[in-house]
Amino acid sequence: MNITPRQVEWLVIALLVGLVALVFQQAATDMAAQGIAPGGPYDNAAAYPKTVAVVLGLLIAAQAAVQLFGAAPPQDEDGGVPLRKLVRPAALIFIFGLYLGTLPLLGYHVATPLMLGALMVLCGLRRPLAIALPALLVSFGAAYVFEAWLKIVLPGGLFHLNMVW
Amino acid sequence: MFADALLAGLDLFLTPQSMLLTVLGVVFGLVIGALPGLGPLMGIVLMLPFAVSLPPVAAMGFLIAIAVGGSCGGSVSAILLRIPGTPLAAATLFDGYPMAQKGRAADAIGIAISASALGGLFGGVVLILTAPLLASFASNFAPPEYTMLALTGLIAIAVVSEGSLLKGLITGAIGLLIATIGTDEFSTGYRFTFGIFDMLNGFHIVAIVVGIFAISEMASQVMGGGLNEKPDVKAVRPGFRTVWMTLKHWKNLLRSSTIGAAFGALPGVGGTISSFSAYAVAKALSKPEEGYGAGAEGGVVATESANNATVGGALVPTLALGIPGEAATAVLIGAMLILGFFPGPALFANQPDIAGGVFLVYLFSNVALLFVGILATPVFVWVLKLKKSYLIPVVLLLCAVGTFALQSSVFDLRVMLGFGLLGILLRGAGYPLAPLVIGVILGPLLENNLRRSLLISREGYWIFLDRPVSATLVVINLLLIGGATFVTMRSLRRRRQAPLVARTNDAGR
Amino acid sequence: MKTILNSAITALALSTGAAAAQDFPQRTIELIYPWGPGNAMAVSQILAKAMSDELGVSVPVISTPGAAGTKAFLTAMNKPADGYTIIDGYVAPLVLQPVLGKADWTYEDFIPLHSAFSNAFALGVRAGEDRWATFEEMMAYCKEHPGELRYTSGSRNNLPHMVTAKALQGYDCVAQNIPYSANAEGMSDLKNGVLDFGIVNVGEFQQAGDQYNILLVLSELPESAEIFGGAASITDLGIDLGLSGLAPMGWDWWMVTKDTPQDRVDVLRDVMAKALARPEVQDKIKALGFVPLKWDYDQYAEIVGPVAGQLEAMGNALKWEEEQLAKQ
Repeated sequence: MNITPRQVEWLVIALLVGLVALVFQQAATDMAAQGIAPGGPYDNAAAYPKTVAVVLGLLIAAQAAVQLFGAAPPQDEDGGVPLRKLVRPAALIFIFGLYLGTLPLLGYHVATPLMLGALMVLCGLRRPLAIALPALLVSFGAAYVFEAWLKIVLPGGLFHLNMVW
Repeated sequence: MFADALLAGLDLFLTPQSMLLTVLGVVFGLVIGALPGLGPLMGIVLMLPFAVSLPPVAAMGFLIAIAVGGSCGGSVSAILLRIPGTPLAAATLFDGYPMAQKGRAADAIGIAISASALGGLFGGVVLILTAPLLASFASNFAPPEYTMLALTGLIAIAVVSEGSLLKGLITGAIGLLIATIGTDEFSTGYRFTFGIFDMLNGFHIVAIVVGIFAISEMASQVMGGGLNEKPDVKAVRPGFRTVWMTLKHWKNLLRSSTIGAAFGALPGVGGTISSFSAYAVAKALSKPEEGYGAGAEGGVVATESANNATVGGALVPTLALGIPGEAATAVLIGAMLILGFFPGPALFANQPDIAGGVFLVYLFSNVALLFVGILATPVFVWVLKLKKSYLIPVVLLLCAVGTFALQSSVFDLRVMLGFGLLGILLRGAGYPLAPLVIGVILGPLLENNLRRSLLISREGYWIFLDRPVSATLVVINLLLIGGATFVTMRSLRRRRQAPLVARTNDAGR
Repeated sequence: MKTILNSAITALALSTGAAAAQDFPQRTIELIYPWGPGNAMAVSQILAKAMSDELGVSVPVISTPGAAGTKAFLTAMNKPADGYTIIDGYVAPLVLQPVLGKADWTYEDFIPLHSAFSNAFALGVRAGEDRWATFEEMMAYCKEHPGELRYTSGSRNNLPHMVTAKALQGYDCVAQNIPYSANAEGMSDLKNGVLDFGIVNVGEFQQAGDQYNILLVLSELPESAEIFGGAASITDLGIDLGLSGLAPMGWDWWMVTKDTPQDRVDVLRDVMAKALARPEVQDKIKALGFVPLKWDYDQYAEIVGPVAGQLEAMGNALKWEEEQLAKQ
């Protein structure tokens, strides 16, 4: 199965329509409840985002018209990108997201070498030493720069693993 | 006026920290520029979290030096590998690569570095002469003028940005909406915060730019393949005589630098357009025996001096008005705001030492480029051999830790990841990302000044036409919008009438 | 290579072991500061640096602006009460926002370390202004032309706004406040005649005093009038704002959240008092137009309590201004 740029374009249009709707929904509910929806420029915080949303809505409509009636993007003719080519970037984002999510739990010194190593494997490195050594070195090096130089307290995690430099 | 600012800035500039960081910035810029796919913008984005913890002039020196080094670094890979490290160096390839093929790789790189440094210095002179003048002209600007300037900046950038105008305007509008998240200064109410206190001040600009540029770039690199390739490059050692070789093309150098600096000062026109323009002009004015396209020194001189002079030109509206010309200067403005000074006329009036300090670090970074660049070329060549399979994880780690370092906030990390996903999606659908960042930076400027104007005005919207400068800007904006609409409609109609022709044209790009 | 790894592992082990030993402080202490960078942040940084020298750990000032300072308070209150987070307790988020119903704490919810600084402000017009020469003349004009004058107090519902509204209310003068993101922008519009009057702070007056004509110093302390070149103060004009002492001024106390262990509070109190008493710290703070405050933690309730009461009593001035503007 392939995914074409035109399909991604429609996905973006759908998201943007949702964004425009969200602006109006928030103006009508949350902002109205705070008393910042009606009034002049001093009190009315909703008028400006609504104006931008209207302009955005018009632009989206024009873009949708282009996608409906204009020529297809040239990449579409080669059938787009096969889904399996998207596995790697998806895995990259997944690993990175997992890292960000578990960072407060595992702590920097546990999570970081694991993330670096996993990404290196994903990128096609296979020799264990060529993965483990750089992963540990980079992780310690970055920690040194941030903690010793920049005085940032990196997440220690459940085990309170923090360096004393 | 010019001397005053420079003298005032001397103290802030002449610290070991400022000077060392400027040199470091040049080195980092050259490295990141040389790496294919990463350019000066990415360099600035990745180092932003570090920079904002430094004193203002040292921080700006570091970031501007990255822009300077990055604008030049792309030429190394263009000359040696026939892959421009950044789009800025795409035109350098025309003559730089043939030079390398003829065994003159060292000369080509030396000339590229010398021309970059000299062009950059020329841009610095333009910056020092014009920015204070523009600032003093703008010192009478009030909210109506700033409202219109913000609009001009936004429209111009969408018009010039790569890809479709419509898509540029759409991402710009998304940026404007993102900028409204948080506490509204006028009503003191909360907008789009969904009861989350982390959102009371909106999203952090660094989390936005790191996510949207860096994360999405890494995802597209990993899709591109060739992750474990080690390009075969030989050691290159250029010498300082290449400075002399460059100076022999002094007419070309002056002309191309002028083109670069002038284009840089215009909103939306970046280094890529100026380097291609400078190359076209140099080629048109050359004699046939110079052999443009087959390894002419003049070709490298033209493109590299132009794209570095652009940096100086782009700093003029950035510093004097607080209006960014493209994404990199928008990020610089974001950095300045975090560092606690507001670019614009007030900066020149109240903190001339900061303005002068920034001038000096810009000049110094170009001098540093000349020496560091020529002496350390072997290092940058070595960097080209770095495998992407190591580079990508390291860049992602920098993104995560850097963003976390800003305010020790896990929420910022989520924002960064979210914008990474948005960036991937928008890239996939062919939307330019720069207008989004410009929109986020210009958004508060636009909204607050618009509402301020209306509050100050006793006759509603007429305030925009009552003031001469504001009225002029209104006309310019209308012309820009009209012109843009006309061009879009025409290209649409043409595409519908002859879709086949359009398709072959597109494919040829 | 191995030695580096070994020592790193030892370091890790050491740090986990040491966490059990109650040695305070061991790491960076953050000062959560409620505004964007500027003069006031520079003052806080001076004191934080001095405390850092005393403590031997760094004390970065974390600028956390948003929602009139309440975001900083919420951020700090969401961190563990372990003494590693100090709040720069400015009057606006500490007292004013609760008074306005925008925050649900009182000053009693925090443990004070020591009072920090105060800064006075004054009401001024641009230097060449010829429509009026005194505050009373301007008020007379304002009464004749309700809703016509434009001024700036920096932002909406901040302390200067409240005090200005109160002063104007006494003269039955309705004017429109214009919020600005950066002080410099508002001052530029004031100097250019776009605004009719504005609140000028000490820092701005020290930098460009000749470009303003100060009409009224919003403080009853003689020192404050002196800082503004001996301009007329509310005492001179016999204006009773119902405010005394610190109430009409900007000030801050440094504090920690409730439940912070007493021994850590003691360490911080001791160090802050020492840092503030240093002569070079005093000089640097004064050079920026701020006045270092002398009250120790035991006077917190005595000083801050009345301010809260007085601000509560004048909260209606802002409401009055809004209602009058709505009628225009």
